[in-house]
Amino acid sequence: MSTVTGLLMAIAICGALLAVSLKNVLHAIFGLAITLLALAGLFMVLGSPFVAAMEVLIYVGGISVAMVFAVMLSTVVPKHAAETSLRKGAAALVALTFLLGVGAIVVGADLPSTSAPTLPAELWSVAHLGTALLDHYNLVFEVLSVVLLVAIIGAIVISRREEEHTES
Amino acid sequence: MSPPETLVDKLDSPWLGVVLGVAAVLGMLTVNVLFLVWLERKVSAWIQRRMGPTEVGPFGLFQTLADMLKLLSKQLITPRHVDKPLYHLAPLVVFVPVVAAASLFPFSAGLVLQDLDIGLVLVFAFGGLAFVGIFMAGWGSNNKYALLGAMRSVAQNISYEIPLILASLSVVLMSGTMNLAKITALQSERGYWFIVLQPVAAVIYFIAALAETNRAPFDIPEAESELVAGFHTEYSGMRFALFFFAEYSNVFIVSMVATVLFLGGWSGPLLPGPVWFFLKVYALVGLTMWVRWTFPRLRFDQLMSFCWVVLTPLAILNLLITAFVARLV
Repeated sequence: MSTVTGLLMAIAICGALLAVSLKNVLHAIFGLAITLLALAGLFMVLGSPFVAAMEVLIYVGGISVAMVFAVMLSTVVPKHAAETSLRKGAAALVALTFLLGVGAIVVGADLPSTSAPTLPAELWSVAHLGTALLDHYNLVFEVLSVVLLVAIIGAIVISRREEEHTES
Repeated sequence: MSPPETLVDKLDSPWLGVVLGVAAVLGMLTVNVLFLVWLERKVSAWIQRRMGPTEVGPFGLFQTLADMLKLLSKQLITPRHVDKPLYHLAPLVVFVPVVAAASLFPFSAGLVLQDLDIGLVLVFAFGGLAFVGIFMAGWGSNNKYALLGAMRSVAQNISYEIPLILASLSVVLMSGTMNLAKITALQSERGYWFIVLQPVAAVIYFIAALAETNRAPFDIPEAESELVAGFHTEYSGMRFALFFFAEYSNVFIVSMVATVLFLGGWSGPLLPGPVWFFLKVYALVGLTMWVRWTFPRLRFDQLMSFCWVVLTPLAILNLLITAFVARLV
């Protein structure tokens, strides 16, 4: 493991710790942005600048900004009002399930023991990634599109219902 | 095929290359921004039948230099109720991506600091990073005008990023690469500029770029009459200068992208490459200034509906047609 990789990993973990520990929600989101930037750096070290650029473009510039918007547009909740023990328990359960799931995938996968790029650069090229996404991983790609579509329609339905509420 | 030798490859140490490269880009940007601010003041004066700066240097050329020195020597005031970490970080988060993005452009054949196959994506990625910084500034300032300005600015930027990228993708589909140097080389090879085949994309790009850089008629985030100065209301001295620098650099960068994508970059007869490149960039910059000083400001809902109802569908349609044609030819 090179120094750069180690440093990036440390930054990613620090950002994640900030994201879960800071009381101010906006600070937490910026902590998450630090983690995402460090992840982009890790993709760079692993030899895929395209995935790194996409990570920055979509996650740092898009998702985290959308999260800030969501926080600012939602009504202010009094401190800790939302934290009931039931909710805490449910959150812990979800987090634990997710951790175990990801852990199982990581343990089950046959990962190379070095952090150096093991695949040739051609396999990381934009053209190859595009072909793989629309060819080999076509089904996954389509399912993800449907999930996004459902999310958009859901958002429209919820906002419409609130509009009717305020009018009546 | 090995990538063509770039300036950085010619140096012994990669770190020396990084330091020299950053210094070169910063120098290039500083000179151009100082000139741009002077040009803007002269163009606005000319449009409004005034003189503009005349006192410092020939034709007032050194006026912005004097302004910069003034800003450098000003006291840095931190208002009492700001969110300190965010307030202090924001100018840097806005400024650094601009410098990084500016290091990706080919000024002439072989004269490119970072010749990357994903150059175009990276330019947009660095542009996206700045949104986070604008939010940090707006929130961290703890001021309602700053917060409203930041929200307007980011909402506008996120929306107009979509037609901007879609319009650029039409060119990428035609050239089959996202390498800025290769896109330019392709245009001089074929003997025509991509604006000839992609006039719609070029117009969409230009309009979206005006909105991306918060320029009039899309300067709603800084509408003086409503919001004082938008997200940088609470910043003074050098911190304000960093935002100002980033803003003018962004105007310069979107013009450079347009030059590469639609106007054939450095290619042109007789004159050397960099001269052509900067001539085209400054022609576009001049156009944005002309637009700024002759059109009134839009209202926010008009701005948003123009993006989502007109520009984005048109860009998607243009992309689809380009894809079909590129497949058939």
